[in-house]
Amino acid sequence: MSSKKTSNKFIKNFKDKLNVYLYVYKIQIIRSMAYKFDVYGNIIMQTIIMIATAYFWKALFNSADSMGGVTVDTMLTYTVVSSMVSVLLTTNVEWRITESIKKGTIAIDMMRPVNIFKVFFAENLGAITALIFQNLLPIFIIGSLIIKVPVPNNLQDGLLFIISLILAFLINWYLAVIFGMWGFKVIEMSALIQVKKHLLRLLSGSIIPIWFFPNWLRGILECLPFMYIYQMPISIYVGQYTSDSLRKGLMVQLMWVVILFVTKNYLEKRVTKSVMIQGG
Amino acid sequence: MIEVKNLCKEYHVVKKEEGIKGALKGLVKRESHKIAAVSNINFNIKEGEIVGFIGPNGAGKSTTIKMMSGILTPTSGEVFIDGKDITKHRKEVVRNIGVVFGQRTQLNWDLRLGETFELLRHIYQVDKEQYLKTLDTMDEILGVKELLDKPVRQMSLGQRVKGDLVAAMIHSPKVLFLDEPTIGLDVSSKYALRKFIKEINERRGTTIILTTHDLGDIQELCDRIIIINNGSIMEDGNLSGIVDRIAPYKTLIIQYFDEKIPEVEGAELIETDGNVAKYRFMKSETTAAKLIEELSAKKPIQDIAVEETGIEEIIRIAYS
Repeated sequence: MSSKKTSNKFIKNFKDKLNVYLYVYKIQIIRSMAYKFDVYGNIIMQTIIMIATAYFWKALFNSADSMGGVTVDTMLTYTVVSSMVSVLLTTNVEWRITESIKKGTIAIDMMRPVNIFKVFFAENLGAITALIFQNLLPIFIIGSLIIKVPVPNNLQDGLLFIISLILAFLINWYLAVIFGMWGFKVIEMSALIQVKKHLLRLLSGSIIPIWFFPNWLRGILECLPFMYIYQMPISIYVGQYTSDSLRKGLMVQLMWVVILFVTKNYLEKRVTKSVMIQGG
Repeated sequence: MIEVKNLCKEYHVVKKEEGIKGALKGLVKRESHKIAAVSNINFNIKEGEIVGFIGPNGAGKSTTIKMMSGILTPTSGEVFIDGKDITKHRKEVVRNIGVVFGQRTQLNWDLRLGETFELLRHIYQVDKEQYLKTLDTMDEILGVKELLDKPVRQMSLGQRVKGDLVAAMIHSPKVLFLDEPTIGLDVSSKYALRKFIKEINERRGTTIILTTHDLGDIQELCDRIIIINNGSIMEDGNLSGIVDRIAPYKTLIIQYFDEKIPEVEGAELIETDGNVAKYRFMKSETTAAKLIEELSAKKPIQDIAVEETGIEEIIRIAYS
């Protein structure tokens, strides 16, 4: 009887807590809708990259039907999906941390009875939800009209893609948080954030898949988490996998999620203790 | 209600050297050194007290408040709020705490005021009924309901501070910290703020800790003041007690008909300006009436004034 009571209490407690972060998520969607200019900028940038990459592939495949078992159609789908995935993998947590530290508003975050990193996560999800309408949809439409309608070969590929994308999302987010925690030490890091962003896009196979890279570089990149963020889910989407590579790939993704999660939790405790508040 | 024991906070500060050469050197090698922002502070605050923290800029007031409200982790020492250690039970303890920073807002610039309140209601898990009741009370004191639909970025500073005060009260905290709440406010906003502080203290028994540079705030609100300088407590007590201790004297100003100024026993002639003389005397030793009587026996007197040592003066003495 009493154990049932405590478990009920536990469930209620959990619901209340979830409620808090759900509301933070909801509010963030409302807030994100306020920035229209930013949104157009991002659509234009993404479209330029997408179209340029698509023409690059078309030119490259001009003389051959396929290269290493990959067709031009596969690459065009890859390009459009990559652009769409990049919207879903938007992280703002690094900015959120540096800005709060720089302006001293981190004090406001720290005085509330919440875990600030869970708040950041909820805010990030809220921002992405807004971006689905503001960015993902326009990019999908533009990509479909100009380049190719990005459909998967079959339903199974689509579902496996979603599983892999969720793992990719977590890897990407934990990396961003761990990176963002630097903001607690280094006060000005906007440039570093830009470097990280572009390096990640390059090393993750988001523009050029790793399978076109030389062997030695591929070997290195397979040991790093980056290619499991873009290349892994997208290659599932376009059907570029074997049951062997799929099983191994998902395992490695899961492994990275665990490693990064543990690292983040370890750093989180240290970092919150050493917070500095700027300006009085 | 609040117990502060041996509280210390050290910061690492990177030493910056002058000029371009120094800046370049700083890119490669940085020397950092420790500075103590707060060193070994002790005090207790009872439930329902209004305590004013005063001290010059950089004295450690804000740092102390931030440690007391769980924002900064102390280098050493402990803060107990309602019997609980804030560093160990931060999430639990901050439910009993409200904080208002005069210089930054916890209101969200992109939202309407009411939306921020709703967000806070969810964060502190306050039920709707309780929330509406609090809002009613706050509206009575501050008149905040008309602002609920206004976007925060369009608010004046006075309105914003009102919003911030209500935001800090949504979860009905037992302790309210106000860090320079009256900074930059006009007279009527200042008045509203002081009224608010008094009323929530009386109605709800909220314990209030405020830092301020406004001496009017202190005179009007604080039962007790703590003067902090260089990270340590210089004085702690009620205002008149501190005045008596720091400046146990009054000044008697007498205007005579000519410039021949007499002296009197029991008071020191500290200043003369033409036919005006200032005498300083110890409150415990003699009274102004007695001095006037003796002086008027010596020379005819034109005009008289007695000056208490002003709070500005007290603070200037305490800081130096």
